[in-house]
Amino acid sequence: MTIYLPAGWTPARAAGKSKVGFSQCTTLEPWRVQFNKDIQAEAKNHPDIDLIITDGQDKTEKQVADCDNLIVQQVNVLLISPKESAGLTGVVEKAIDAKIPVIVLDRNVDTKRITQFIGGDNVAIGKAAGEHAVKLLGGPGKAAGNVVEIWGGMGTQPAHDRHDGFHAFTDKEPGIKYLLNNQSGDWKQDKAYDIMTTALRNNEKIDMVYGHNDPMAYGAYLAAKDAGRDKDIKFIIGIDGLPDEGVTWVSKGQLTATFLYATPGAEGLRQAAKLLKGEKLQPVITLPTMLITKENAPDILKKNGLL
Amino acid sequence: MKALFRLLSRTKLYWGLLLICLIGALISPHTSSGHNIFLSYGNLTDVLRQVSITGLVATGMTMVILLGGIDLSVGSVMGFSTVICAMLLTKPGWTSASVLGVPAAILVGGTAVALAARFVFSGLARGRDVSAGRRREISLPRWQSIGLPGLLGLLAAVAIGWWTINQVPGKFGVLGVLVIAPCLAMLLGGINGLLIVAGRLQPFIATLAMMVSALGIARLTAGSDNAVVPVYTGTNATEAFELLRSMLWGVLPVPSVFFLAAICLFGAILRFTTFGRYAYAIGGNVEAAKLSGIKVAQVQLTAYLLSGLLAGIAGVLFVAQYRQGKPDAGTGLELDAIAAVVIGGTSLMGGRGGLAGTFVGVLIFGLLSDILQLQNIDSNVQLVMKGLIIVCTVLVQEQNLGQLAARWRHRKSGEAQADPRTVETHRPPSAAKAELAREDLDEAS
Repeated sequence: MTIYLPAGWTPARAAGKSKVGFSQCTTLEPWRVQFNKDIQAEAKNHPDIDLIITDGQDKTEKQVADCDNLIVQQVNVLLISPKESAGLTGVVEKAIDAKIPVIVLDRNVDTKRITQFIGGDNVAIGKAAGEHAVKLLGGPGKAAGNVVEIWGGMGTQPAHDRHDGFHAFTDKEPGIKYLLNNQSGDWKQDKAYDIMTTALRNNEKIDMVYGHNDPMAYGAYLAAKDAGRDKDIKFIIGIDGLPDEGVTWVSKGQLTATFLYATPGAEGLRQAAKLLKGEKLQPVITLPTMLITKENAPDILKKNGLL
Repeated sequence: MKALFRLLSRTKLYWGLLLICLIGALISPHTSSGHNIFLSYGNLTDVLRQVSITGLVATGMTMVILLGGIDLSVGSVMGFSTVICAMLLTKPGWTSASVLGVPAAILVGGTAVALAARFVFSGLARGRDVSAGRRREISLPRWQSIGLPGLLGLLAAVAIGWWTINQVPGKFGVLGVLVIAPCLAMLLGGINGLLIVAGRLQPFIATLAMMVSALGIARLTAGSDNAVVPVYTGTNATEAFELLRSMLWGVLPVPSVFFLAAICLFGAILRFTTFGRYAYAIGGNVEAAKLSGIKVAQVQLTAYLLSGLLAGIAGVLFVAQYRQGKPDAGTGLELDAIAAVVIGGTSLMGGRGGLAGTFVGVLIFGLLSDILQLQNIDSNVQLVMKGLIIVCTVLVQEQNLGQLAARWRHRKSGEAQADPRTVETHRPPSAAKAELAREDLDEAS
């Protein structure tokens, strides 16, 4: 169990240790929790680094205050995963002005004055999901079936990227029909469950569900299961690939596949360590995705100590 | 004619419900076999199931609002209940210190609540009786109030529930979960009530504070590195737990049975018991109620306790349905509940309205959601339409159809008559309010 002490409470650091501050935007979502776990696990490999994590509690103004606080503490490197771009740009520039290098994780800010950006590519992941979907539905040119797509937050960039990437492949297939029109599950399992319940009532034939994240795909699976139709809907695809969520569900055969949206936690800290040793960093690192199916899911679970 | 208008006006909410059903049926998509999807039994029971959680919370909210209060904490309290419930199900034994600490703290808090409640009932309430001469007080009949014995009973219930989960496997373990989570939620409701009656805080402030801190308590209980407590099938007692989302005798979804039972039970309590009479009296005019010797604090505390209890039960049903405990599961729920209560014609000022209205309000909300979803309308458009329906329903609710018709007739015949609504304001406000309260009592049945 992690306790997020107010940063002022950390004990005086040992001589020669560097301070790395990480401003996380929220810890209310499982993906963010995994993100923090990853960065903490990596921190264990760097005994010369003191890692300070702050929790922005899903509020821009709280996260700005967190960053201000880290700047005042004169951290050697600032890692930040912004809640939103515009609101956090100012404080990132302030850190740069204070000669603190800034590594931006997952979502970017509206300024070129950053040291490095590390993040996944949602469009690429959406494309991978779309390519896989076409394959499952009969292959290019022959793919056919009714697809239910459950959106994440309608106003969020990742949802639009995951949508656009998916459709880049599936729109070429005349046999694929979409049953829902922009239905948002708000990234939540319970909302997706209710949407899917109605979709099942409304449509006698559903072949595939594409959820913008795993919890929503799982919620759709539960709805299908409760309606006794989980066997008819063969392909349920999610995105995120957290070990204790998506990967577990895939290994149990409840989801057909999921695509890893890796957290930039571990990589972020490795890059910070490089920077502290005086190495130069490349401006952008894009994290690769990975297809997780029933074949490779057990290995991932083993690696994470869940099997 | 006038009588007809009066009848129409009184029952307009039900006509609205009927109208929505009619529209839903007319524009509903059909299955390939020509079957109307909206009217299908499966769809209608689905709607009942989907509104049950909001409905339970709205039931408690109605009682609080009737008393002139408000409970903003219900969403967080429900989230807390889902976490307790999920942890009880997934962690057999569940004895790790950090996890046990929070319920223990709440138990201690609960005892403090009980002691403070005694203080309120024996001292404060009596001391503030301003009626001249001999002090006369009217308490609730013992079985209708949750005083010190009730709170101690709650603690005992939690202890027994705890024992059941750890000692008795299977279905009875589930009973333990069904007791513990709602009782702990009820204690949070009790703290709300005490802050309001003993601490003399505004209900808005007290429950706002609880809304924030209950979320924190829920997250601490889950452990800060668990955003979600998943309940996978096959874990402790989940098989029996499945009963909570099944269909009762294949007819009604179990969550909706809880909702319907709550509406009937508390509807009857509001209609037939002293508690109900006092609730309307206090909501209508607190000072008058105090002057006539009603133990206002006792009634208020009971209402907040019940609101917490119902939110707690909603939490258990949430876990059964969606297989997860989530500290923020109820975010925004308080607003949905308030909206349903207001659509149902209960006045935010208190003293007017009832559970029959809330039931219809919850159904209108749910059916509308279902119709929009069946029409496959864009999520963002759905939000706008829901906002519109709140405004429209309340507008129609506030207008008296009979009066509108009267004005229209007068204008037509050219008679210069005073607006009936202006006439009404010339009467002493208390008389007007008393009459309204009487009408609502009739309607509430």
